[in-house]
Amino acid sequence: MSERIYEILFIADPNLGEPEVDALAAQVQGFVEQAGGKLQKLEKWGKKRLAYNVRRHNEGSYVLLAVEGGGGLIKEVERRLKVTDGIIRFLTVRVDEEVRKAERRKAQRALGEEKRKGRPSATPHATPHATEGVQQ
Amino acid sequence: MNGGGGFGRPGGRSGGGAGAKRDGAGAKDGGGKRYFFRRRKVCKFCADKIDYVDYKDVKLISQFVPERGKILPRRMFGTCAEHQRKLTEAIKRARQIALLPYAAD
Repeated sequence: MSERIYEILFIADPNLGEPEVDALAAQVQGFVEQAGGKLQKLEKWGKKRLAYNVRRHNEGSYVLLAVEGGGGLIKEVERRLKVTDGIIRFLTVRVDEEVRKAERRKAQRALGEEKRKGRPSATPHATPHATEGVQQ
Repeated sequence: MNGGGGFGRPGGRSGGGAGAKRDGAGAKDGGGKRYFFRRRKVCKFCADKIDYVDYKDVKLISQFVPERGKILPRRMFGTCAEHQRKLTEAIKRARQIALLPYAAD
């Protein structure tokens, strides 16, 4: 069993400057690594307008992390996110299952298309006969 | 009480979309078995081959959320059941992290 993959998206206080947001991201990365997780991705989206006020802010800097690890990791990281100043909201989502499902689908579709291309003239009637012939 | 049949939704909202396919061709010229021609809506996610509806993709999701911020029923956009389910999930996640409003005034 491979480890699970989670996405942690958090919103930093808009009053923080860019270096401070960077520091915050590094801090969260530290949480993850201390708890035994592996960081896969770190993305900064910059300042965005919030759809509604969060802790009296209508703006915020979004930071996205993708993390590999177990459920215990998330429990610990979330606990620390909650008590970290400068983080006004966060969301953790498990993504590995859905992404894997999506990939499987994509692969299947690619396979189907290849088949269709392979024999464009094959009518549904002719195909079973042909395979029967081979088997007998 | 809910007056009249149908969906009991008073007037307005999205009436354009739902109504447009109903009127139009048919009836007058055909006779016999010719039914109303309904333009079939195709699920955008199926057409574009989007397997994973990402809550972070606000641009995509917001196409399916009206100004007011509500999640609309499937019949409005013609999404298939599977993708509507995923879309709903994505919208709810986006709301939690303030990418989409719960309700806008």
